[in-house]
Amino acid sequence: MKVAIVSTAVAGALFALGSHAAIAAPDWSKVPKREIHVFHTGVTPIEWMTKKSMHSGSAGMRKGEACAGCHEEKGALNFNFKRLADKELEPVGAPKTMSFPVGVQAAYDKDNVYIRLSFKAPADSATAALREDMDPKHEVKAAIMFIAGKVPDGDKIGCWATCHTDARSMPAAKPDKKKYVAAANLGGEIYTDYIQWKSGAGGKGAAQFDGHVAETRVDKDGKALVKAEGENKGGMVTVTFTRKLAGGAGDVTLAEGKTVPFGIAIHTDRTVARFHHVSLDYKLGIGADGDIKASKL
Amino acid sequence: MADGKLFRFLAAIRRPSVRYSLLSILIVGFFGGILFWGGFHTIVEATNTETFCIGCHEMRDNVYPEYKKTIHYRNRTGVRATCPDCHVPKEWGPKMIRKIQASGELWGKLVGSIDTREKFTAKRLRMAESEWARMKANDSRECRNCHGFDSMDIEKQKLRGAKLHKIGLEEKKTCIDCHKGIAHTKPLGMKEDDD
Repeated sequence: MKVAIVSTAVAGALFALGSHAAIAAPDWSKVPKREIHVFHTGVTPIEWMTKKSMHSGSAGMRKGEACAGCHEEKGALNFNFKRLADKELEPVGAPKTMSFPVGVQAAYDKDNVYIRLSFKAPADSATAALREDMDPKHEVKAAIMFIAGKVPDGDKIGCWATCHTDARSMPAAKPDKKKYVAAANLGGEIYTDYIQWKSGAGGKGAAQFDGHVAETRVDKDGKALVKAEGENKGGMVTVTFTRKLAGGAGDVTLAEGKTVPFGIAIHTDRTVARFHHVSLDYKLGIGADGDIKASKL
Repeated sequence: MADGKLFRFLAAIRRPSVRYSLLSILIVGFFGGILFWGGFHTIVEATNTETFCIGCHEMRDNVYPEYKKTIHYRNRTGVRATCPDCHVPKEWGPKMIRKIQASGELWGKLVGSIDTREKFTAKRLRMAESEWARMKANDSRECRNCHGFDSMDIEKQKLRGAKLHKIGLEEKKTCIDCHKGIAHTKPLGMKEDDD
């Protein structure tokens, strides 16, 4: 009996050690980093993007062009930021920092994918921008959204699959309408999957979320996120996500050899809803080609 | 009675002069023609300036401030396209036709059809559609006075412009198909078919 207890304890300790080893953070100094620029979009939901009278690039979209195919150039974004910040597209007020780079690194092993985001968080959002109204008032939030395989044009429009003109914080939208995917079908791979880290305030109250967006945004029920850890040192923010390759319903399955479309959203200066900086569409390759190629550990 | 006067006038101008020499008549006719043509041309060109266009508050207070924020007003090259460069044909025939059409706007000025911001806003879409239709019908002729695919090095353009210009060439688009609102705010309620 005593032997059995000792054996169980040893096995448990080994299992715990093994588990810990399985989710040990990669040596990030050896993982390639690529900068992805996030930007303040103003009021440019998918309905705006696809409307010819608003966005002449919709002609390119109809030809199968991806957002990044036109708007990322020489490692930077080529938007007319003056137009994005103008009252026509940002009636509430644009942040002074319209765009900033996010260092993105990724690695994977047989169980997990590890993604690190590092950036200098600006704190110059418009005074009138919507902000956290509950404690903790998260100073910074960082999210990664994976686009499931059958979202129409999901590999080209990225997060815009969920961004609609009637979603909360858009002009004249209902305050309780969350982001959604048109004709969503969780079982039919028409949804997006997201993981998010929230900083809390003053180094306290950090939180993590594993959710998805289908008919509406659900900020729980995900089974893939193992942990999201972050630190904010004087505005320099580093966030590391550890996510299982496969989860449950609402979790996009990642696997070696697979490439998955994704986007990044960063809220700074305690902002919420659409007052974020987001990335265009990018591809995460798990041991496969992609804009970000995850290194095998 | 009136017929009699007209007949006598016609007969008088058809009758050879017995008082003036042919040379005198030619000299007077030549210089008179220059004066008439010069005067006519001067008046037409006087109506073909930005100063004339913004002489009325309807243009000065509505579309002009919008245009001043655009690249056609101020840019790195120092080249400026003014109101008539885009809205009045350069060629004489089309220019005269446009001027005759535009004389209808004098009536609008007299009756004050767009003399307030509200009236202007209410009519803006219809006025814009009319101008877009004119530009579309003439294959964006006024744009092409300065811009042309033949002289355009697409490879030197920014990626988004380059890709869209290639599509424009493939689909035989004309400038105004895509560049509505390039010098003025787009009106609300645009039809998607207009683009």
